[in-house]
Amino acid sequence: MTTTDDQQSLKDEIADLEKRLHDAKSRLNPSLEPSTLVKDEALHALLLLSDSALPLGSFAFSSGLESYLAHHKPSPPSASQLPSFHTFLRLSLSTLASTALPYVLTGHRHPEDVETLDNDFDASTPCTVARRASIAQGRALLAVWDRSYKAQYTDSTSAATASLTAFSKALRTSDTLNAHLAPLWGLVTRVLCVPLHEAAYLFLFSHARTVVSAAVRASVMGPYQAQAVLSSAELKERIRGLVGEGWDVRVEDAGQSVPVMDLWVGRHEKLYSRIFNS
Amino acid sequence: MTFTSPFAASSAKAGHGSIELAILPPDTPVLRNISYQYPLKLVAPDGIPPPEGDDDNTPRLIHTVFLLTYGGGIVAGDSINLNVSLESKTRLVLLTQGSTKIFKTPDPTLVSRQHMSVHVAPNSALVYLPDPVQPFAQSAFSQSQIYHLEDGKGSLCVCDWVTSGRPARGENWDIHAYTSRNEVWTCSKDVKKRLLLRDNLILDKHGRTGMRLSERMDSYAVFGTLIIRGRVFQSLSQHFMDEFDALPRIGGRNWGDDVQVELSAKEHRRVKRQQQETADGLIWSAANVRGFVLVKFASREVEGSRHWLRDMLREEGSMLKSFGERAVLCLK
Repeated sequence: MTTTDDQQSLKDEIADLEKRLHDAKSRLNPSLEPSTLVKDEALHALLLLSDSALPLGSFAFSSGLESYLAHHKPSPPSASQLPSFHTFLRLSLSTLASTALPYVLTGHRHPEDVETLDNDFDASTPCTVARRASIAQGRALLAVWDRSYKAQYTDSTSAATASLTAFSKALRTSDTLNAHLAPLWGLVTRVLCVPLHEAAYLFLFSHARTVVSAAVRASVMGPYQAQAVLSSAELKERIRGLVGEGWDVRVEDAGQSVPVMDLWVGRHEKLYSRIFNS
Repeated sequence: MTFTSPFAASSAKAGHGSIELAILPPDTPVLRNISYQYPLKLVAPDGIPPPEGDDDNTPRLIHTVFLLTYGGGIVAGDSINLNVSLESKTRLVLLTQGSTKIFKTPDPTLVSRQHMSVHVAPNSALVYLPDPVQPFAQSAFSQSQIYHLEDGKGSLCVCDWVTSGRPARGENWDIHAYTSRNEVWTCSKDVKKRLLLRDNLILDKHGRTGMRLSERMDSYAVFGTLIIRGRVFQSLSQHFMDEFDALPRIGGRNWGDDVQVELSAKEHRRVKRQQQETADGLIWSAANVRGFVLVKFASREVEGSRHWLRDMLREEGSMLKSFGERAVLCLK
């Protein structure tokens, strides 16, 4: 009987000590709270951008998957297209990392260069289908910024915010600006205080999610299989590796690593029937 | 005793070359300067008059220069640097004699390089239709072709294609690395130069695909890009776009309810060409972007692409008329 009481009082004492330790720590380090504030700020923005309800219209694009499957008909026709899909996802991520990721990173690091980045990305996108998809999503992102986020991020001293506002304004009158997704993704994440690595990771992850979701709607796989692909260690490792590989690549050195991808995407227009815009 | 040479100091550097095409007044195009250093070699036969002039801007002579290398290929560590300039109202055809072979390198970090910088004045035109680059197994090569269009004018029809190596020896993209860059810039006297087009191909071990390069190539042995721009090649550009539009739909079915119409001679040739494309496993796409027509093609074997390019250029015919048969010599 006494032992139980002793145990209980010891437990109370420990709880009390822990509480006092915590109080002492927080008094010692008053910057603890603001730092979690910054982290939460970034986390909040990350959650906004990763939400599948973000109105970018990404669901309308398969990034070449539909055309790829049409070029690789399984035999017999009843065979699963799943192996084809896995190959495509790898190639598609590799292409995106070699062509667009450097623009995301540079857009985040150098907000003032957004107009040049936009022009150079446009010059480097060789086919109308990919161009249409990139511009549609870039413009949608800009619209979300203008209509929804801008009011919350009124820090007019920030150079990034100023660049974004200027770009958005110039786009209305200019006939040379396009608003491609990659450089704008870098710039918008910078304005929303998302750290560079997270911004790049999310860019590639969102692409994987778009392709996987297109695969579900093209009846290549079911929704549970889709989640399994997205949560797989393989995908994590791949995205992490690609961000690492692309970290120091200059935009001048961005280029196509899977040349046949340009053909698949470019020939999407020639499909007899199609459910996606790219 | 000091002696001052009356001649300018030699500026020749290994692998450097220069081609300057100028107008000798009143209206004769001449190769004002053509120089080269080992391992680059340039061969310039006499200019020939074009079979047919299209307007006042057609020069009286079309010049052709062959880009060659000693030993018929590029050895590890070679570096070639060529400058080309075209004055207004001149036309130049650049060709090779056989594929550019890239020999294997003892060390993947020892990369052979070829750089070409071209300045094109308004109302001039360049045709660059070389044989494909053929990188052998364990080679490392990087090339860049940079075109500067004065005021964004001037005409270009340039092709860049690469093959899988020596299929007869079982080579199938067994290279260490291959990169090829094509850039077109517009430059004016007082405005900052602006990038019009960048086509950058990077074949190396990066990309985290976990696949061999041959798998990444989806069993194609040739990849090519054709870049067309400018007034001189307007009808050729249109031809590529029209033919792309006329390609049969992928996955379309013949329900047998189409009325069989009598085909015109042109349509008949089109059908023949499309059948040949299927037989050669050739796929292609064309896009009209930023004032260019950009054509991408791939086929199972080199000859498939070669025949296809030749058929496309021949069917339309304007290049042969304004530049002569020599322009398509590498496609024979």
